[in-house]
Amino acid sequence: MTPHATNAFKFSKASELLGQMGEEMAFLVPDLDSGLLPINGIVMDLEELAEAGAPASFSAAINVARQWLNGILDGTGKFTADSIQKFNEWHEWVSGLLAALEEGEAVPDAPAAWGMALKSAGAATQAAAPSASVESVIGEDSQGSEPAILLNLSEDLDLLREFHSESLELLQNIEQGLLVLEEKPKDSTTINSIFRAFHTFKGGAGFLHLDAMRDLAHELESLLDAVRRSELQITSGIIDLVLAGADALKKFTREIGAQLQDPGCHGPIIVPTSQLIRRLKAALKGEVEVKCAPELVAQVPVVPVVEAVPPPATPVSPSVPSPKPPVVAVPSMDPPPAAVVQPAPIKQGSEKNEAAPLPATAKETSGSGAASSFVKLDTSKLDNLVDLVGELVIAQSMVVQNPDVSKINSLALARALRQLSRITTELQRNAMSLRMVPIRGTFNKMSRLVRDLAAHQQKQVQLELAGEDTELDRNIVEKLGDALVHMIRNSVDHGIELPADRVAQGKAPQGTVRLSASHQRGGIVIRIEDDGRGLNRDRILAKALERGLIKPNADLTDSEIYSLIFLPGFSTAEKITDVSGRGVGMDVVQRNIENLRGSIETHSVLGEGTTFTILLPLTLAIIDGLLVGIGEDRYIIPTLSVRESFRPRPGMVTTVHERGEIVSVRGRQTPLLRLGQYLGSSHRATTPEEGIIVVVESGDAARGLLVDELIGKQEVVIKSLGETFQGQNLLAGAAVLGDGWVGLILDVDTLVKLPNPQRVPKPAAPTLN
Amino acid sequence: MKPSNNNLKQADVKTSRYLTFSLGAESYGIPVLNVREIIRLCPITPVPRMPGHIKGVINLRGTVIAVLDLRAKFQLSSIQQGERACIIVVQIKGHSGQNTHMGAIVDAVEEVVHLSAADIEPTPDFGGAPDTHFIFGVATIRGGVKTLLNIEKIFLEDGAIVLPAISKSKNTSETQQPELKS
Repeated sequence: MTPHATNAFKFSKASELLGQMGEEMAFLVPDLDSGLLPINGIVMDLEELAEAGAPASFSAAINVARQWLNGILDGTGKFTADSIQKFNEWHEWVSGLLAALEEGEAVPDAPAAWGMALKSAGAATQAAAPSASVESVIGEDSQGSEPAILLNLSEDLDLLREFHSESLELLQNIEQGLLVLEEKPKDSTTINSIFRAFHTFKGGAGFLHLDAMRDLAHELESLLDAVRRSELQITSGIIDLVLAGADALKKFTREIGAQLQDPGCHGPIIVPTSQLIRRLKAALKGEVEVKCAPELVAQVPVVPVVEAVPPPATPVSPSVPSPKPPVVAVPSMDPPPAAVVQPAPIKQGSEKNEAAPLPATAKETSGSGAASSFVKLDTSKLDNLVDLVGELVIAQSMVVQNPDVSKINSLALARALRQLSRITTELQRNAMSLRMVPIRGTFNKMSRLVRDLAAHQQKQVQLELAGEDTELDRNIVEKLGDALVHMIRNSVDHGIELPADRVAQGKAPQGTVRLSASHQRGGIVIRIEDDGRGLNRDRILAKALERGLIKPNADLTDSEIYSLIFLPGFSTAEKITDVSGRGVGMDVVQRNIENLRGSIETHSVLGEGTTFTILLPLTLAIIDGLLVGIGEDRYIIPTLSVRESFRPRPGMVTTVHERGEIVSVRGRQTPLLRLGQYLGSSHRATTPEEGIIVVVESGDAARGLLVDELIGKQEVVIKSLGETFQGQNLLAGAAVLGDGWVGLILDVDTLVKLPNPQRVPKPAAPTLN
Repeated sequence: MKPSNNNLKQADVKTSRYLTFSLGAESYGIPVLNVREIIRLCPITPVPRMPGHIKGVINLRGTVIAVLDLRAKFQLSSIQQGERACIIVVQIKGHSGQNTHMGAIVDAVEEVVHLSAADIEPTPDFGGAPDTHFIFGVATIRGGVKTLLNIEKIFLEDGAIVLPAISKSKNTSETQQPELKS
């Protein structure tokens, strides 16, 4: 990058190489690969020469040849009559260029269609040029066969894994970004972040020789780059195109993931991309060449052209505006000048060009990325940490409550112990927060889903999100995703009507699905509301009867009827669409949510809409537990499922048919379960009046549990009971209590759904000794 | 004979050190490599509605592990555990392939013995009943017979196992049959 670069340029060497090339080109035959390698070698030598210092026009010309060659190498690997013709033209032109440079004469114009177009040559030539552009040559060459990528699992395993997980993240960012762009097409931060994501993607794919992915990412990047430079307007067409590109990349990524999981299905991965790439190129060319051709030709050594380059993000190198052939030719890695003279290519990219946009983005990255930085962490490490902190808290309380320690009359010790307590509590809160992630990511995925579904069904649906920053245990967030997808699909598919129908009912043509998250009742409430047609009580009943899910004449409340839709095999959709209506889904949703120790409620008004309310615990790792005593044993009941607890007055508990006991609480009749009897611990309380009744509920069902005493309320860290106890569903887990004892956590759902306990057969094995 | 022979082969000959423990008058051995630690008998939280041989769970430094009563598992008479009673914590590969820890209450831990393959005899045939599969051999040490147990089978199978009463001379034990109840 010195002003003397031109002087150092070896004209003799260049013309010698060009001479050799001319000889080789004489042997080229269409549809054969003879001569390809020698020419490739010569072009490589020329590139080396150009890198060592050469006039910009010369470097640009070599670049063009390199791209043509890459196109052939990546495609069929054979010359066509067309490409031979182009190489001949190129050779002739470059020879002329070299002579002109040597003599210091004016540089001849390059044919515009080569992609290093000249301003003076103008759009006329370009438009007239039949099909000789780089793009079309490559497009035709690769048309016949889609490029396949083959993973080198044995060598690149770790790299591929990394690439895979990184790609998934990038693709998600891209998707989210695009949805933002749809609303705010001018949002430069978002455009930049999408551009960077594609750029990173391309880098990774290129490094692992996943050429098909790299090429596609490259085209997407170029398109975004044009957008970034305001050379291209964001339209919904462009967004669709980029989304389609991201989808293709996702397909690749998914395939890679599958092969990483099961090396048995190793094979080439083929995802059709050539069509996409052509569309991307067309989109790029369509607007860019007409509107802003001058900005794309910075490599041409005509001074006015260089000046026409809009001020880039990086400071213009002082050498650029210097007179006579601007000495910016070296397509080296020197970052800032490279960014100036080599705007990100619309041509097939070589590494040099790829490096170009980086410096421009680097600053923006540091700007927006500084807000929060992340460390990726193995979740099992995190779980271990949380477990250990839980132990620390218990150990700490054991020390503080130790009778010997409390006998010590020392102010200093008391202060130290207080300090210890404070730090442990703080540490615990911090450790717990490590697992919490905002639900935003999951919610954002839904935007895409709604958009696609609505477009597919010609409905107008708007998704409103609220409370995206609500934090949930990451395990819950992960498992919640599928359930939400099903429910949102359901709302759009079954809930929202077609625009015409909505108008006929006096509603706005655009339907609204509202997805919100909030803290409530010590847990998280996720609500999915739509203003669609609502659940049709009679249709559900008829369907349930038809499917034999309920008995005729069954007297059901509204909420009982609505809960029918969660039964396996239930679907009221008259026509089965490819998104919902197959009767799988809602039962899976309910199961998923129950597995997360959550529950789901349905509320609907015919013609006005449906609301699903999902109640979830904050975390799977800790629960707020009610510690109850039965005889000598202690059990933990999750507070989330406790409705109330009280000491019954005489007369509150009545017997039905001398078998089932029922407690009436404020007019509601709730079946009573003598917990001690069921669990095999001897009750101290012989009558309900001596004990305490804890009313628990799961879903719509409730049950009163008779216990001896309430010991207290505390947060406990849930521990798995291990394989030995996998077969039972009575216990949800265990927790180590403050005194080191293990407390068992009752599974309320099982208790509530127990048939009348008196009819439960006694367990086959003796319970306890 | 067949199952016991198989068991002898399965049991890696390399695991030649055994921890022996007693249940009443009988003596048993398990491979030392599976033993994680031996802890004093501590309060056990009973788990309701489980088979009798599953005593409950304990807190082993923050991990909740299940504890088996080997006496109940082998359907021996239950006794008031004395001072020497302890819990042997073993590490085994569970059904899911993950290592899990479990505890077993025994009357007393005896010693660690070194056994070569030659010391281990195949399980005597108790009359063709196949349920000796949790025993992979017997060894005679200083006149006493140690029954070597296949701990994976014992810990991962539900239900109680009726052991043949192994007397000091294994010839007399031919008449009794082991039995597996579930």
